[in-house]
Amino acid sequence: MIRFDKVTKTYPGQKRPALASLDLEIEKGEFVFLVGASGSGKSTFLRLVLRETRPSTGRVYVAGKEINKLSSWKVPKLRREVGTVFQDFRLLPNKTVHENVAFALQVIGRSRAEINQLVPETLELVGLEGKSHRMPDELSGGEQQRVAVARAYVNRPKILIADEPTGNLDPATSVGIMKLLDRINRTDTTVIMATHDSSIVDQMRKRVIELHEGHIVRDEARGIYGYQS
Amino acid sequence: MRTTLSELGASLSRNKSMTISLVVTMTVSLLLAALGLLIQSQADRTEKYYGDKLQLQVNLCTKNSPSATCLGGVATDEQKQAVQDALDDNPEVKSFEVRSAADNYDRARQILTQSETGRKQLETLGPDAFPETYYVTLKNPDEFDGVVSQVSGMDGVGNVSSLRKLLGPLFEILEKMRWAALATSLLLIVAAILQVSNTIRMTAYARRREIGIMRLVGASSWHIQLPFVLESLIAALISAALAAGGLAAFMYFVVYGYLRDTLGQLTTWVRWQEAVSVMGWTTLLAVLLALVPTLVMTRKYLDV
Repeated sequence: MIRFDKVTKTYPGQKRPALASLDLEIEKGEFVFLVGASGSGKSTFLRLVLRETRPSTGRVYVAGKEINKLSSWKVPKLRREVGTVFQDFRLLPNKTVHENVAFALQVIGRSRAEINQLVPETLELVGLEGKSHRMPDELSGGEQQRVAVARAYVNRPKILIADEPTGNLDPATSVGIMKLLDRINRTDTTVIMATHDSSIVDQMRKRVIELHEGHIVRDEARGIYGYQS
Repeated sequence: MRTTLSELGASLSRNKSMTISLVVTMTVSLLLAALGLLIQSQADRTEKYYGDKLQLQVNLCTKNSPSATCLGGVATDEQKQAVQDALDDNPEVKSFEVRSAADNYDRARQILTQSETGRKQLETLGPDAFPETYYVTLKNPDEFDGVVSQVSGMDGVGNVSSLRKLLGPLFEILEKMRWAALATSLLLIVAAILQVSNTIRMTAYARRREIGIMRLVGASSWHIQLPFVLESLIAALISAALAAGGLAAFMYFVVYGYLRDTLGQLTTWVRWQEAVSVMGWTTLLAVLLALVPTLVMTRKYLDV
C-alpha cells in the first residue's frame, strides 16, 4: 500500500536530511505506529505520503502510484484515498457536525443523495449518532476528534493517517479514539499513526516503527513504545 | 454547485466593504476607459465627417488684400482664368467650385448677424471686402502642398487656406482628451488589478482553514479556485454594468442632450450604436481584469 524506496528528503537550507535513505513497506490493512522524538522525521514521512512534499531522492509509492511522477492535477485524486486526522481536529467552527463531515464529500463533488446516505452512516460508526446538528464548540475534545475521524473516513479511503490524534485528549478519551481507529483498521483500511503516547502503543501491540534523525532504528511487528523522550 | 453558490454568497457578504471598494475602483477605471474609447470613435467620426470637406480654399484678391500678388487690386478676369486653368491642369485636383464674392458676403452675414459683435463687424465690411473663392477638392486631401504652392504665388490670389489647418486644434484637443482618458484609466486599471489581488489574498487568509481542509480531502484545484473566480467575476460584472450605466448617462445627457443640439453643425456626434460597442469592450476588459489576477493570485496563495 505504501512503499519507500531509498527515500531521502532534505529541506532547502538544512544540512541534515529529515529522512535519510529510508526503505519501508506497509501492507494493505496494516496498523502502524510511527514513534520517535520531535524532529526524527515522522512529519516528513506523513507529508510524503500525502504528497505535500516530494522526496529529494528515492521513490515513494502510495496506493499504487509513484508520487514523484504524479502530476499536480492528479494529487487531489491521491488525497481522496488518504484520510487524515490531526491533533488539533481542524473542524470548521461555523458548521455543524453533519456539515463538517459532509464538507469533505461536497468539495469532491459527491451528490446530495450520496452525502445524505454516507454522513449519517459514518457518524453512527464513530459513535456520534444524534449529535449531527451540534456545533463543534458544543462537543468535548474526544467528540470533536470523532468528527474529524468521521470526516477523514467518510470517503472510505484506503489509508488513514493520524498525526498524534490523542495528543490533546485525556487517557480515557484516547482509548475511545484508539478503539475507533482499530475498528476502521478492521475494514481493511491501512492506518498509520504518529504518536508520543506510550501507553497506547503498549496497549495496542501493533507494528511500531521508530525513527531517529531520519533513520529507522526499530521496526517491530508487535512492538511497544520502548523509548524515553 | 449549490454549496459553491451558498459559500459564494456568504463570502461576498463577509467581504462587503472590500467588494464595494473593488467595485468602485473597477467602475471608475472602466468608465474612464469607456470614455477614452468613445472619444476615439468620436475622433474617427470627425475625421470621416471632414474627410470629404477638407477642401482648399483659394481666395482671390479683393481691393484691400495686403498680399504682394494683389497689387493690382481686385483679381481680373484674366487672372481668374489663369488660376482656373492651373487648377484644371493640376493632377492632384479632383474638382473645384466657384463661390462668388456676393455669395460669400451672404453667408458671412447670416453667421455674423446672430450676435451683437458680429453685426458691428458687418458694418465695417462691405460686399466688396469679400473675395471670390474657389473651393478645391483634392484627390488626396492630405497632399495639399503642391496645389498650395502652385496657386498661392499666382497674381490675383490673395491667400490659400485649408480647413485642415482650421480644424487642426479640434483634432488636437480630441487626441489629447483621448490620451488623458486612456492614461488615467490605465492608472486606475493598475489600481484595480492590485485591489483584486489584495482581495484574493485577504479572502484566502480568511478562509485558510476551509482551504486547508479542501486540499486535504482531495478537492480539485478548480473546486478550490471556483469561489474566488466567481467572486471576482461578479464584482467585475457589477462594475461593468455600472460603467455602462455611466456611459449611457453621458450619452443621454451630454451627447444627445447637449452636444448634438448646440454643436451639431461642428461635426456629427457619436451615436448609441457606438456607445453600445464601447460597453461591450469594457465588459470584456472587466472580465479580464477580474479573471487574470484572480487566477494568478489563487495559484500563488492557495498552492493549488
